[in-house]
Amino acid sequence: MQIVFLFEQVVNGLVLGGYYLLIALGLSLIFSVGGIVNLSHGAFYALGAYLTVQLTGALGFGGAVIVSPFLVALLGILFERFILRRFYREDPILSLLVTFGLALVAEQAIRMIWGAAPLPYALPALVRGPVFVGEMIFSKYRLIMLAVSALVLVGIWLLLNKTSFGRVVRAGIQNPDMVAALGIRLQPYMTAVVMLGVGLAALGGAMFAPITTVHPAMGAEILTIAFVVVIIGGLGSFWGVVLAALLVGVVRGITVHFLPAASEASMYVLMFLVLMFRPRGLMGESIEKFET
Amino acid sequence: MQRLRPLLIAALVIVALPFVLPLVGLTSSTATQILVLTIAALGLNMMMGYTGLVSFGHAAWFGLAAYAAALSQKHLFHGQILLPIVVGVVFVGVLSLLVGALMLRRRGVYFALMTLALSALTFSISFRWTALTGGEDGLGGFDRSTLLPIDLSNNQTYYWFVAVFTLAVLYFLIRVVNSPFGHTLVAIRENQLRAEFQGFEVRRVKLAVFVLSAMITGLAGILSGFQHYIVTAESTSIEFSGEILAMVVIGGMHGSILGPAVGVLFFVTFRELLSTWSSDWLFWFGLIFVGFVMYLPGGIVGIVDKIRRRLNPPPEEAAAMSRRKIYEGLALPEGLRPAEGGGGDVLVVEGVSKNFGGIQAVREASLRVGAGEIHALIGPNGAGKTTLFNLISGRYEPTEGAVTLEGRPIAGLTPARISHAGIGRSFQITSLFDGISIEENIRLSVQAKHPGRFNLWRDVSSYGDINAETAELIRFLGLEGIEDTLGADLSYGGQRLVDLGIALATRPRMILLDEPLAGLAAAERERVTNLVKRMAEHIPVLIVEHDIDRVLGLSDQVTVMNDGAVLMTGLPSEVRADKRVQEIYTGTGTPAVTPRAKDADTSGPPLLKVENLHSFYGKSHILNGAGIEIREGEIVALLGRNGAGKSTFLKTLTGLVTPREGQIRFGDQDLAGRSAPDCARAGVGYVPQGRGVFSGMTVADNLALGRLARPMGGEGVYWSEELIFEYFPRLKERLNAHADFLSGGEQQMLAIARALSADVKLLLLDEPFEGLAPAVIEDLFRVLDRLRAELPILIVEHNLDLVLALSDRVYAMENGAVFHEGAASELLHDLDYRKEILWL
Repeated sequence: MQIVFLFEQVVNGLVLGGYYLLIALGLSLIFSVGGIVNLSHGAFYALGAYLTVQLTGALGFGGAVIVSPFLVALLGILFERFILRRFYREDPILSLLVTFGLALVAEQAIRMIWGAAPLPYALPALVRGPVFVGEMIFSKYRLIMLAVSALVLVGIWLLLNKTSFGRVVRAGIQNPDMVAALGIRLQPYMTAVVMLGVGLAALGGAMFAPITTVHPAMGAEILTIAFVVVIIGGLGSFWGVVLAALLVGVVRGITVHFLPAASEASMYVLMFLVLMFRPRGLMGESIEKFET
Repeated sequence: MQRLRPLLIAALVIVALPFVLPLVGLTSSTATQILVLTIAALGLNMMMGYTGLVSFGHAAWFGLAAYAAALSQKHLFHGQILLPIVVGVVFVGVLSLLVGALMLRRRGVYFALMTLALSALTFSISFRWTALTGGEDGLGGFDRSTLLPIDLSNNQTYYWFVAVFTLAVLYFLIRVVNSPFGHTLVAIRENQLRAEFQGFEVRRVKLAVFVLSAMITGLAGILSGFQHYIVTAESTSIEFSGEILAMVVIGGMHGSILGPAVGVLFFVTFRELLSTWSSDWLFWFGLIFVGFVMYLPGGIVGIVDKIRRRLNPPPEEAAAMSRRKIYEGLALPEGLRPAEGGGGDVLVVEGVSKNFGGIQAVREASLRVGAGEIHALIGPNGAGKTTLFNLISGRYEPTEGAVTLEGRPIAGLTPARISHAGIGRSFQITSLFDGISIEENIRLSVQAKHPGRFNLWRDVSSYGDINAETAELIRFLGLEGIEDTLGADLSYGGQRLVDLGIALATRPRMILLDEPLAGLAAAERERVTNLVKRMAEHIPVLIVEHDIDRVLGLSDQVTVMNDGAVLMTGLPSEVRADKRVQEIYTGTGTPAVTPRAKDADTSGPPLLKVENLHSFYGKSHILNGAGIEIREGEIVALLGRNGAGKSTFLKTLTGLVTPREGQIRFGDQDLAGRSAPDCARAGVGYVPQGRGVFSGMTVADNLALGRLARPMGGEGVYWSEELIFEYFPRLKERLNAHADFLSGGEQQMLAIARALSADVKLLLLDEPFEGLAPAVIEDLFRVLDRLRAELPILIVEHNLDLVLALSDRVYAMENGAVFHEGAASELLHDLDYRKEILWL
């Protein structure tokens, strides 16, 4: 029985990890391409959740979950064009400060528009309820989330590795000068990557809206978790982030069971442990610009 | 007294606050809060403003100290206030020492992110550990109590109590900032790498300031806890961390020690006044914060400074330079002459190797530098000279081999310890402290070896010995009269001198100079050469320099490196006469391959006509009026020493470097100032040094990127896939191989094929034969020879035999300008002429 329960917690942890992945992956992508650590990433996640709640009335749950990430991605165009673009070649600390300020502004804006109290939101009956696998019980919706996370992961991997878009992005990360010397303007790709990154965050928010409380500070909460994931995995490393997200999810899933009060603290402890032994994270590379 | 002015200002404001605030409807409690936040912001700014370490998690210390103080009063020191304050501060001190030792293993952005996580962690613990902290409700049940006869529970009295702490902290920080320790912090902010090579134990200094900063912010937290009679989890949160950070940034991190205090005043009044009529004050505050970071990174203090400078502008740079006094022929200052060693070899490098991944950058290199010797280290680009310097000075640890200085082993030590052992070095790319004065640049170096370098209390100006030595060295370098100029405002030549001075001021027993003459004008070259000679009378010098004439004339011993290994060591005359050395630099005169035909008609108008091109990297003037012409049907070689500006010239043609002046006529367009993608689409194909193939992608992927964005099938050459395979059959077999696994020759073929896989009218090749096996070189040579008929090629290559055999005409560059133009055949077989033009 204990084993079964533990296994359930591991699977729940994977669900959690898969959802951290949505946020951390976008963060890592934006970082890889522009060298910007986007502290306002959580705001896009929160926006995704709020838009989903807002649009459910008009579009239904399914429609809202699909549409709101796209709307947020459109906002990403403005974000890239008017904010991030000025900081690609600047001291990374400046972009850290600016995006930190923006996160503050966005959180307050959400308060102004939707109020400070959490918004009530419930799952539609269709995706509610448990699923039995042998002796184990899982929530149907969480399994759907896991599937969506996996799909997104595969999709991003294919996009980066099997399309010409991905080739340009990866080449641009390695050697932007050479890409330019082949006649390719990187600017639109940067915009697209930022759209993709914030869109993923919004998708995370949209999917999590029904099973978490939708409140203004949700962005700040997820942001620190996403950063813990990225620090553990190694900034800019695709598989490092995947591994770290799942690891953090599972560690939290297990501590929630054994020591509920420490479930948040556990991942920070994990982070400090990893840093003690691998200062650049599990799969991180040394990037000169970010260490001086 | 000047130093204490901020203290006086602060005292006046503190006295005035209780009288001024009521006028705008604010209470004495607000006044106390202003002081508390000022202490916190001052603490944070020790890290942010002075050391350049951004902390997004300082609230952690604020809150933890408050918890510790409150708990200690509740459980240990009933009715006390001073003891709990001490307990709280010491608790945070010890904790930050442990956490800092771990977090400071990472730098820059990574460090900032960890501080963010730290704050999240402390918040989570404070919020959840209800038994200890009261969780959501906060921790109460303690009081301000009395301090002897004074009852602190009165709000007015408590204000003055906090005021005393505020002034004490400010006074302490003024002392710290003006102490050797404080100046070291600024050095770390400006250039951490250089500070390490000066001999500062950077990690330790950073840890010290981290702890200091945490304790001061912690003190603020304790005072805040006693003010409100409650400690809440929110006081450790990221939001609150962000607010402190915002106050510091808005007030101004640099410029004045009181900058953060100005930010606090702004923050609190803004909050109190705005929150009375809008609950959204944080939104507006956030916008203001973002505005400051984007448009006014200097903060409010920075604006004041700017206005002051507008009203009272500093003298022009040229005027400042005219104050410079140069004394010719000064001897090296007494204090910098090391005590006599035992004679014999000072520096011994024995079989040192270094691998980077699979590449062996240095292979079993050995050399000895004796007392009183100038030892030159020469060799072509990529020979491993700078890597060897880095191995000796501690930037990298040798994979194997030994380095000893006067008999003591130093290999594998940190740069700081090697510097203390007695090795000083200058950098190939000037590395100074840009934001501080010349005098301070040098003074820091002198200080790094002084026993008082960690002193937190004494004013730097009170160290007579350090200042005298600094002044003497500045005089020796010929920088007197311009001591107050900022490092960044100096001319390039001046910067090189300061770089040299920083190395010299560490009182080395052995000095390493990495291209001290690079990029200098003739007169300056002469002066620096003389300085090096004077220096060498007392300190042995190991010098890397590309001006071979000059360095051979200067040195006693010469070591020649090639391909990571030492080729020979000997007297300058022996090196000059050595056949192998000549081959490295000027070739043999008998190329291994001969071209088929050079009979294309080149009488047409020039396809490319470059005139008077000027390009800069920072202050360094790389291209200085260079100009060439290329016509259809010819291959043109661009020759010159390392650092002459050849690669930069190619990059300027591709748009990767924007010229400051000059024309690039290409067909009927002017490419000067156009972006790199525009130049590529206009028909400039480029194969960079090192090939620039994209790793992690297949050959086919790489080729696809070449076709993606440029026009095809219009003017110029366009290689279809079939054509590529005809020229390079190897690529067909390797089409699905990852570029990382290609041999050097295959990578070169790929890079050329990729460049030509869309319409190209001119091909630029940077060192195409570098590192290739002879058979591959021959293949490539034939391909390029065939290409001559299809499009003109501009080639930079250090293998002279090959490139002269291949090309029709040559241009030779020096110091960013073309000094020779002629037919390649003149240089091909006449070795003496070749030497005259290209080397000795």
